[in-house]
Amino acid sequence: MKQFACPVIGRRPASEFICAGSSIQGLLQNDSVAARAAIYFGDATAHVKREWWYHRPSHLWFVIARDTATDEVETIELMAACAAAPDA
Amino acid sequence: MSLRLLKYAFNRDYAEPRWFNTPATLKESYDVVIIGAGGHGLAAAYYLATHYGIRNVAVLDKGYLGGGNTGRNTTIVRSNYLTPEGVRFYDRSVRLFESLAGELDINLFYSNRGHFTLAHNESTLRTLRWRAEVNKHHGIDSRLVGPDEVKRACPQIDLSCGGQHAIVGALYHAPGAIVRHDAVAWGYARRASQCGVEIFQHTAVTGIDVAAGRVTGVNTTRGKIKTAKVLSAVAGSTPTTLKMVGLKSPIDIVPLQACVTEPMKPWLEPIIVSGSLHVYVSQSARGELVMGAAVDPAELHATRSSLEFVTSLADQMLDLFPFLAGVKINRQWAGMADMTPDYAPVMGKTAVDGFYLDAGWGTWGFKATPVCGETMAFTVAHDTPHRLIEAFGMERFERLTMLGEKGAAAVGH
Repeated sequence: MKQFACPVIGRRPASEFICAGSSIQGLLQNDSVAARAAIYFGDATAHVKREWWYHRPSHLWFVIARDTATDEVETIELMAACAAAPDA
Repeated sequence: MSLRLLKYAFNRDYAEPRWFNTPATLKESYDVVIIGAGGHGLAAAYYLATHYGIRNVAVLDKGYLGGGNTGRNTTIVRSNYLTPEGVRFYDRSVRLFESLAGELDINLFYSNRGHFTLAHNESTLRTLRWRAEVNKHHGIDSRLVGPDEVKRACPQIDLSCGGQHAIVGALYHAPGAIVRHDAVAWGYARRASQCGVEIFQHTAVTGIDVAAGRVTGVNTTRGKIKTAKVLSAVAGSTPTTLKMVGLKSPIDIVPLQACVTEPMKPWLEPIIVSGSLHVYVSQSARGELVMGAAVDPAELHATRSSLEFVTSLADQMLDLFPFLAGVKINRQWAGMADMTPDYAPVMGKTAVDGFYLDAGWGTWGFKATPVCGETMAFTVAHDTPHRLIEAFGMERFERLTMLGEKGAAAVGH
């Protein structure tokens, strides 16, 4: 079973999480054309992506940097801790 | 023993001609280059050659013929979709499928089974009624049935589903069928090859040349090709191919897994689907139960399969058929599904002249193989989208005119 080693809640099985897709923080504050581009026309090739993951039991949100070619996780941060940082 | 087999026994050389010949080298130029030797790409090649006389065509694949999602799906063919655009399109596909074995002279094991989509609650029943009415309006044989009719067609089913989510009705779609998926690719490949189409397996595309907004050539691991028209039919590799021509799309790649049980005597006639339980099942000609579920929870460009998938699928399957508890899983696999936000495909012309796209086939592409070939061949030959695919253009995501096929495309989305 795949697990995520998270801050605060420790190592938890992936089945407890819901992936909410690529993080588009920052982009949504722009105009609607940019938002549309961000939502529908992102880079869908395999690379390291920052994604929103919701942990159902604790109601916490995490930003996980994950390689979508290998499924390897690089970093896991609490959502609140990275709210101010613009996305790569 | 047939006479043909007996003849082989006395023949020193194997007398059956090869189905598809691969020339030693690529030609310098082709009228059309098709990327992806799966069902869709090969069907397009076949219809280009037979309907439009365009025979100077190369079909390239980085792997082997039919080794992508054509060989990884669960072989179900149906047309009981939700949007009028979808219903018309898939209906054409089912009709093509019905006469395809004769046309391609190959046994496709086309087996008309009937297709039940189960409802376990009132809201699902409402969507199924909606689908039935849209289907009927377009002359497609779909109707709402009660639990008793489900039980008559499949006496082994536990209508109470373990007491947790009792079946309250179903959408019955009589034309629902299963087809031997590999044979579809082989049949199209053989016929296309006989018409002069050249198929190159293990030939990866490394780049696509674009000059002044027009396609001019394709770079491959076997060398360069000059061409003015490229059709991409590569399912899970769509974002990578689009990047070669500088385009982006709303397609995300997510694994879709499936598995089969050990073979058993025939007992399951219809195809059974439950969106609420996230499972679908049919019994193949070999006696295996072919089972699938929802896509994996996150994007991944890989065909790895997981234990979580099998355990959760088995859990749901036992709610429907408790007597399967002692049956073993024989093998499992995954394909890379190119998912779109509205669960409808992305087909037609693109912003790059001469670059045509047949993509966004997510978890629903196999059943559309013949009609995709037919409509994409038209689109490539005339440089204008076929009327059946006008609604499927990429521009709908800019105009926000999406199709909303989510209720009918697959399970558990």
